[in-house]
Amino acid sequence: MLVSPESLAVLGGALALGGGLAGSSIGLGWAGSSAAATLAEEPGQLRNAIVLVSLPMTQTFYGLIILILILTTVIPNISAMPDPGGSGFAVLACGIIAASAECVSAAYQGAVCASGISLLPKTKGQILTNSLMLAVFVELLGVLGLVFTIMALSMLGLF
Amino acid sequence: MLIDPSALAALGGGIALAGGLAGSSLGIAISGSAGAAMLSQDPRQLRNVIILAALPMSRAFYAFILLILIITTAIPKILVLADPGGSGFSILAIGIMAALSFGASGACQGSVCAAGIAGLSKTKGKVLTNAIMLAVFVELLAVLGLVFSIMALSMLGLM
Repeated sequence: MLVSPESLAVLGGALALGGGLAGSSIGLGWAGSSAAATLAEEPGQLRNAIVLVSLPMTQTFYGLIILILILTTVIPNISAMPDPGGSGFAVLACGIIAASAECVSAAYQGAVCASGISLLPKTKGQILTNSLMLAVFVELLGVLGLVFTIMALSMLGLF
Repeated sequence: MLIDPSALAALGGGIALAGGLAGSSLGIAISGSAGAAMLSQDPRQLRNVIILAALPMSRAFYAFILLILIITTAIPKILVLADPGGSGFSILAIGIMAALSFGASGACQGSVCAAGIAGLSKTKGKVLTNAIMLAVFVELLAVLGLVFSIMALSMLGLM
């Protein structure tokens, strides 16, 4: 390998956190623009709007968990494997799984929250519970991305 | 390595700064075009429009901090480590992560600010506080990108 297997693993972890950060930004951007428009109409919904806007932020922390796990637990295991180069590349692949899961789920959670926020004034805030419930469905995909990445790493014997 | 590890690290810092500048440009373009449209309607909102349109500019500074840290602190430590080539590649990976964070959060903060600017004349400027609060949420993702990059560099022993 021209590139050392450990650094490929770092690239995987960094992509996972990068995907989480980018997805959270996009989700917060969508939900936040809808919230700014709603608050111009009715400033009393500030509390509910902030609760819904901050939901897509969690995917960043899932990405961070994966980066920390890869840096602290997976990388020391790579050199002990029979094929270090292949293991490093496999960790990069797991990082790409996590990056797509966190990025897409955070962005689309933002879309769900944006629709909830835009209906807050009409329902006098009663839509909050239902849109939280619907947003948690999309959150689940982010959690599954974290869990399946850890599962794949442990099936490879790297965890 | 065919490429010098310090060059890979500098490429990582350069990509981070490019991501920050691109994110700031996109964000200011989105909020600035909403601002130009708003000012043609209500020229007295100039002060508030300028405050909101300037918010996405901070990404460029975060990215600049990261580039300076990589060039001054991380690059001299690369040659001391056991695997210089891998360390250079790891810094490139961290730079890509930071670029994703700065680029996405800058562009998406621009759309939050644009929605806030569009509501300025209707609310006679009262939406300013709420819009800034929502924009700070997206700002947080960029700050997290900077903090997590520094954290990852120090976990790799490069900081």
